[in-house]
Amino acid sequence: MTALKKYFYLSSAFLSGACLVMMTLLISAQIAARFMGAVIPSSEDFAGWLLSATIFFGLAYTFHEGAHIRVTMLLVRLGATKRRYLEFINLVAGLFVSGYLAFYTFHTVYESYDFGDVTDTYLVVPLWMVQMPMAIGSLFLFIAMVDSFVVMLMGKTPRYIVNEDEMSKEV
Amino acid sequence: MDMTLIGGILVVCMFLMLTSGIWVALTLTGLAIIGLKLIDNGSIGLLLGTSSWSATTGWSLTALPLFIWMGEILFRTRLSQDLFEGLSPTLSKLPGKLLHVNILSCGIFAAVSGSSAATAATIGRMTLPELSKRGYDDSMAIGTLAGSGTLGLLIPPSIILIIYGVAAEVSIARLFLAGALPGLILILLFMSYTIVWSIIKGRSGGAVDDITYTFAEKLLALKKLIPIIFLIGGVLGSIYQGIATPTEAAAFGVLGALALSMLLGSFTLSGFIDSVTGAVKNSCMLGLILVGAHFLTLAMGFIGIPNALAEWIASLGLSPIQLIMCLTVFFIALGCFLDGISVIVLTTSVVLPMVTQAGIDAIWFGIFLVLVVEMSQITPPVGFNLFVIQSLTGKNIIYVAKAALPFFFMIAVAIVLITAYPAIALYLPTLMNS
Repeated sequence: MTALKKYFYLSSAFLSGACLVMMTLLISAQIAARFMGAVIPSSEDFAGWLLSATIFFGLAYTFHEGAHIRVTMLLVRLGATKRRYLEFINLVAGLFVSGYLAFYTFHTVYESYDFGDVTDTYLVVPLWMVQMPMAIGSLFLFIAMVDSFVVMLMGKTPRYIVNEDEMSKEV
Repeated sequence: MDMTLIGGILVVCMFLMLTSGIWVALTLTGLAIIGLKLIDNGSIGLLLGTSSWSATTGWSLTALPLFIWMGEILFRTRLSQDLFEGLSPTLSKLPGKLLHVNILSCGIFAAVSGSSAATAATIGRMTLPELSKRGYDDSMAIGTLAGSGTLGLLIPPSIILIIYGVAAEVSIARLFLAGALPGLILILLFMSYTIVWSIIKGRSGGAVDDITYTFAEKLLALKKLIPIIFLIGGVLGSIYQGIATPTEAAAFGVLGALALSMLLGSFTLSGFIDSVTGAVKNSCMLGLILVGAHFLTLAMGFIGIPNALAEWIASLGLSPIQLIMCLTVFFIALGCFLDGISVIVLTTSVVLPMVTQAGIDAIWFGIFLVLVVEMSQITPPVGFNLFVIQSLTGKNIIYVAKAALPFFFMIAVAIVLITAYPAIALYLPTLMNS
């Protein structure tokens, strides 16, 4: 289970990082092509889609690392027990919103598929294909929230809290 | 339901959700859901789905992770050391001596990095131990760093200006141009304060620091700045001359930063991977906030709050100056417990229509907002630069905040200046051929 979790967050980071690198290469290639008088078709649109993939794929990893910002002013001033209660409330709210996001991003992708939508770009691509990372990434975030919630239920401290506390110590 | 009531409920919910520690991005999304439920909107989920997609696929937004990545790469080089060694000899004659190195290195690093915490951390790591070793006044060393670290926000490339540009639908290249002169003015203000302080105190801050340099040594030291000057020139120059969009310049900047780190001999594979994961973390954090902000803006529009607010303000008959003064106070208060990015996205979704209604230029307002956010970065209890310096020095946050206070007022002076002479921000963008 621990190994599985490790690979889960690792793949979130890897997918996101890979999209970031690809996006950089694509934009650089486009600049180079322009100097030589050539054009890479739809490169700007592909860069945008890669950006969306970068952002959504990495959400779970970012959450795990405690890097999604929030106001911890109150939390750090509470005693251990009260802090745990409040953290439970936060996670429930997080579960709700991220679950909502995951459900409806999948819904959006399904509708694009159902209507057979294609992109309005030079190179025509089925819309659901480029939207898929958004839904998968949102689901990843929801799973990460569930993971932290279960860890809390078992009476342990989720990784994101540990990482947050470490960051506030050393930056 | 009455709009005032809906607005009231949303403000209370926002306050509760933020203080209890719900993630800022999810708070924004949650608020939008609550707001749309209150007006019985039937397609909340569909709106969320489509706005998540359109919020994360913009071409101009692709500059954001690239500039973040560029900063992450440079953070892992010995650039800060080169800046210190390159600038020290030249500045050793100025009253305040090496205190100016803090200010200028932050200013230069800000021109390759878009974040204020990263700027303060990168430069402070190098300069603070050195300044304290040479016997400089502690509070001045900390104050100059805290103040000039905030330059990372204003001097392009700036993450926060990209966020504002995307949210307010203003050209990012123009915003970058608009930020340049106010940034230089801030540097001058910080340096003038340091000079005046040193002359009044009758010492250069450093009792022991009497190292002198020959002209040749100064020139030799300045050579260390050449690579970074090239990088800044390539990235910002190409935007300013209009030959590259900010995104293209950012991609060029990433490649340039990698080349620089190889040149300086600090490139390693693990460092490269670290820089990617660092960039991923920051981009995803900001990306989710943008999704929430985009959705909230949409919801606000449906509810009609921004327009109502704009009409209400118009009915008060405030002059733009009075409006700006009210907003400054409001933002500083907000900035006391929210970070800068959150202040910006909350603002653009609610306040912007009211500002443009009052006849205030959206580009000018962006620069104004960033200056106010800079002030909030160095005010307790939540000021990210204070946290960074606290962890660098181990001094408590009140001490750091006190040391930074004069620089807080210098930024306030800059706000007064750009309000009195809007051309400081708006002249350069007019030069750009559209």
